This record gives sequence, C-alpha cells and structure tokens, in this order.
Amino acid sequence: MYRLLTKQVLRSRSTVIVTLFVLALGIVSVLMGEQFLNKQQRAIDEAAHYQREHIQQNAQWHADDLGLLLYYLRFTFINSFDPLTALSIGQRDVNSSIQRVTIRGLEGQKYDTDLHNPANLQVGNLDLGFVIIYLFPLLIIAFTYDLLSEEKEGGTWRLVASQASSPLLYLGYKLSVRVGLVYAVWFLLWVFALLRLPLSLNVNTLVFIGLSGLYLAFWLALCAWAVSWQRSSSFNALSLLSVWVILAVLLPASLNSLLANLYPVPEALSTMVEQRDGYHEKWDLEKETTMKSFFAEYPQYQKYPLPEANFSWLWYYAMQHMGDAESRQSSEAMREKIRQREQASRVAAWFIPPLHTQLLFNDLAQSSLDNYLSFLDETEDFHEKMRLYFYPKIFEDASVGKENWESFTPEYFAETPEVDWFLAFAPLLLLTVGLFAFAVLNARKLKALE
Amino acid sequence: MLQAINLTKSYGAFTALDNLNLSVQAGNIFCLLGANGAGKSTTINLFLNFIEPTEGQATIDTLDVSQHPKKTKQLLSYIPENLRLYPNLTGLENLEFFCRLGGKRHANDQLEELLIQSGLQTDFIHQRVSNYSKGMRQKVGIALARARQAKVLLLDEPTSGLDPKASNEFSELLLDMKEKGVTTLMATHDLFRAKDTGTHIGIMKEGVLVEQFATEEVSFQDLEQLYLKHMHN
Repeated sequence: MYRLLTKQVLRSRSTVIVTLFVLALGIVSVLMGEQFLNKQQRAIDEAAHYQREHIQQNAQWHADDLGLLLYYLRFTFINSFDPLTALSIGQRDVNSSIQRVTIRGLEGQKYDTDLHNPANLQVGNLDLGFVIIYLFPLLIIAFTYDLLSEEKEGGTWRLVASQASSPLLYLGYKLSVRVGLVYAVWFLLWVFALLRLPLSLNVNTLVFIGLSGLYLAFWLALCAWAVSWQRSSSFNALSLLSVWVILAVLLPASLNSLLANLYPVPEALSTMVEQRDGYHEKWDLEKETTMKSFFAEYPQYQKYPLPEANFSWLWYYAMQHMGDAESRQSSEAMREKIRQREQASRVAAWFIPPLHTQLLFNDLAQSSLDNYLSFLDETEDFHEKMRLYFYPKIFEDASVGKENWESFTPEYFAETPEVDWFLAFAPLLLLTVGLFAFAVLNARKLKALE
Repeated sequence: MLQAINLTKSYGAFTALDNLNLSVQAGNIFCLLGANGAGKSTTINLFLNFIEPTEGQATIDTLDVSQHPKKTKQLLSYIPENLRLYPNLTGLENLEFFCRLGGKRHANDQLEELLIQSGLQTDFIHQRVSNYSKGMRQKVGIALARARQAKVLLLDEPTSGLDPKASNEFSELLLDMKEKGVTTLMATHDLFRAKDTGTHIGIMKEGVLVEQFATEEVSFQDLEQLYLKHMHN
C-alpha cells in the first residue's frame, strides 16, 4: 500500500518540482549560513590581528602621552557565536558581534556597526531557520491541501469508500506518506547541515532539530484539520495560504507595530542628546563642577589633584564619563523598554507558532535580541574595567613603554542559552495535539457522498 | 443475497426512495430502470452504505449494511457510471492498490491474468491509467470485482457512455460473473442491455418501484412499452 501511495505522490511532476525547489533552497540556506559563519570568524580573526597592530602603531606615535594614546586606542570585545548561528542568523545580521571601544564615553560608541555590503543588507540572508519556518509550511500545504478533495474531485473517492474497510485509516496512510516525504526533505537538509557546518550534537543542536520537527508537525496538524472539513481543493488551498500569510507575515508585523506603540522608545533620541550634552557642555562649565560629580562616583580618584593647566586628562576623561553618567537613566529606560517589547513578543508568540519558533531558534543560535542586549551590558562592564584600569595610570602620567601592550588581546562574551523546555515545546505541542485531535474528530464524520 | 426491506430515504420533505422492497437471489442480475431522479442511484448508495436510510433496511447476505459496514464491504464490489482510477498509476498498479485497500493481496501475474480475462489489452496493463478510455477503466473495475471475489456487484449505470462494442463486452463480462454465482444490482437507462443481460428488471419512478418482473416474462418490445407507459404517466 505504502509503495503504491508513494508512487502516486512521486509520479506527480508538480510534487517533485516543489520538493526539489525546497530542497535546493535549503541547501543554499545552509551554504549561506556557512558563508556567514566564515565571515564572522574571519572578522574575529582580523579583529585580533588588527588590535595588536593598532596598539603597536599608536604606542609608537604617542609614546610620551598615555592620556592621548588612550584617546585613540580601541579595545575589542567580541560576542562569541555558536555554529548554530549559521542556521538562524537573527540579530547578528544587523547588530555587530564585535565592539571596538575606546575608554571615552561609551554611549556614542555602542551602536556603531560595520556595513560590509549594503546590497547584501537589502536582500537579506537566507538561513535554514527561514526555510523551515516560512517555506516548509508552503511545501506541507502543497502536499496536503487536496488530500481528500482530490479524491472527491477526481472521482476516486466513491471507489475508495466502497473498498476500504476504514476510509479514515486510508486517509491516515495517505497523509503519512506525505508526512514521510516532508520529513525526508527535512532530514536530508539536517544531514547536509551537520556534515557541512561545524555543528556538534549537543543539547542546543538537538533542541533546535527537535523544535524544527515539532514546528513541521504543527503545520501538518493544521493542514489535516483543514482537510477534515471536507471542503473543495480551492477552498482548502486558499484558506491554508491565508492562514500562512496571517501567521507568518500579518500577525508578527501587526504585533511589532502594536508593541512599538505600546512601548514607545523616545529615550533612543534623548539618550544620544543627553550623552552629547553631558560631555560637550562640560567644556563651558567650571572644572570643579565636573570633577565633583566624577569624584562622587569614583571617590578613589580624589587623591589626584586637578592641575592648574587649561587642559588635563583627568578633567577630560571625567567629562567623557559624565556624558555616559548623565544619559545613563535614559539608556537604561531604553533598554528596559526594549526588553519589555521582547518579553511581550515572547508571550504573544505562544499563539503565533512561526514567531515562537523564530525566537527560540535565535535564542539557541545566540542571535536573539536578548543575546545582543546582554552583550551590550557586558560591553559596559568591559568598558568600565578598561577605564578603571587605565584611569590611575593616566592620572599618574605613567610611562607608555612600561605597559605590557601585548596582553591586550580581544576579550569575549559567551552566553549559554537557557531554554525553558516547557515554554519552548508546550505551545507548539498543545496546538499540534489539539489540531490533530480536532482533525480526527471531524474526519470521523467522513461521508462518501458530500 | 440482496434485500431491501421498506427502504426509504428522505431529504427533508423530499422522498428520494419510498418504501422499497426488493430481493435479488444469488447469481441473478437485477436491473433497475428509470428516468433521472427515479431513485436508482439512491438505492445503490444505500446498499453501499454511502448514505443512511431514513427508514428500513438494506441487507447483503442477511447483514444490515448500516449495522455491519465492514463485513458487507468485504462481500461487494462497486462500479460507478464513470469509474475513476489514479491517473499516475498503471492499470495493474490501480488493481493492486484497490485490492490491498480491501485487504486482498495477489501476485502481480495473477492480477495481470485477471485484467486480461476482463478484456484489457495486454499492451495497456503497464500503461498509466491517464491513457485509458472509459471502457478500459470499467474493465479494470470488473477485474477488481473478480480479484476481490465479490459475491455482490453494485453497478451504477456502468455502460453509460460506452461505445456499443465496449458495452457488449461489458455485458459479456457480467454474464460471466453471473455464471460464477455473483449477484448483481445494476442501475441503468439502457433497456436493451437490461433485457439482454438481466435476469430481473425493476422499473422505478419518483422513488417508487412501480414494476418488477423476470426478464424472460417480457419481450423487448413489451419492456419498451411498459417502460414508456410508466414514464408518460
């Protein structure tokens, strides 16, 4: 039976073309992911090399003034990536994974990104996550929308109903062949990804694979439920495509718009203005005013006297820091609102499987917004660590030559994704089981003549 | 073998089949004649358990089809007016497919033999059904009935649209099945075929079986006049 059902499916030219198309796109997506991974690794390798070279050159040029040298020196802080990033590029595409910061005010440096190729940005990247979340549902719809209606419209259903001891079981067989075909494509793509990418079969990878499999099961259940209503092929195709548009495009876009309105972020502008004013206005203020605020935050530096001279590095770096200090509240408020948006998205995503899956893929691949915000938090700590290391040396006018500059290699931020298993799998599992159950209940009313 | 007992099917106020009482003995061919909407197909559909009767019973080998759908399905084979098969499969594969669907397994050479016995040209056995004519598809239907060793054959206007040669071949196959003890209930418009093939004839009008008799009791001319009389009244 399975052999003949499989023959039926595979002898359909359109089925073969659609399957090969998705398979080809899947392979391309893995290759693009690999390319992205290589580009990231190359950038990290170059950053390490560039930092050494950059420090060496500047240390030579500004050998007699540590304050001036540190005005120029940039220290690299890298958001490490997991090879899974190749499968779900997420925020890594738009937010830099490498921060190169000076010890001057951080706020103005945080959001600097490198634009590698504007044309590429316009087109966007293709990753396996995209193929699974957006293209596989279309493949599933193409395979299943006429599971029953093609029999009724083609006239074979009466013969099937008169011969099969259980027409429902027959439909189950028929569906299982299509399920097998969908999962075969999915499996082949995973084999290709595992062979091609430096992925290790750790928990994260297995959860990623499991989640993608469950996501496909959700779409299969949805299609089975639609088919169980026993409507025409055109009705099924139209309604399933509409559901795809609603779930994959309309709801995520509407949610994004809603959250942008619910949690407006005027702080994005005010942070920038406050940081700039916080620093630039200090040039026109009495030095004591600036230093009083600076010493209030770092009393350990009160021991360094403010020189009589017009300019001093102590005063300059205090001004720089006050820009950050005065914009801190807005900056934190902005981050808090972004986190609130993210949190609200996650709750809403329980009911929007494509969004839910995308967010979890990004979490596992360390390419989520959460990961990026954590990286920014860690960048602040890294920036402060560098400042506090160099401040006393600058204030004491330490010798540039005595510093072991070789020890300043790039530092890394590494996050271990923490996935809540229940919240990851439960929404999809509940929806899938529920839809299958409704499909079976509906299909039990199956009639030969309708 | 086949029995309708006070069999009635209504759709709201419309009665498609009204209190049908009918009995077809084993090895007989009962032809139901009547205009469109007379209730012939409704009768067939009730025996197939495609629809539930409003009242009464349809039985096959004394089993009520509504009560024992799986058992009665094992006994029957059905050929509709236009037998549709899976166009991507060959005639042989279609036959194998529907046999397996009904829980029967046969070797391929057995199935090929059945197709040949049912009149399908050897060249077409391994060709996709999309290349088949209607007559060739009906022959696959007969081969299926044979493969299933069906005791009952339900036919809904099986010769409609067939050319005279194909129609004649189909009748011969039915007579061959009859010789093997298969009971047939056939809905048809074709008076000549009913007289030629059937052992009994029933005339239906507006859901009522208005006349039934053995074929040998009437000549073709009498049958034609009787039929026209009922249709005109």
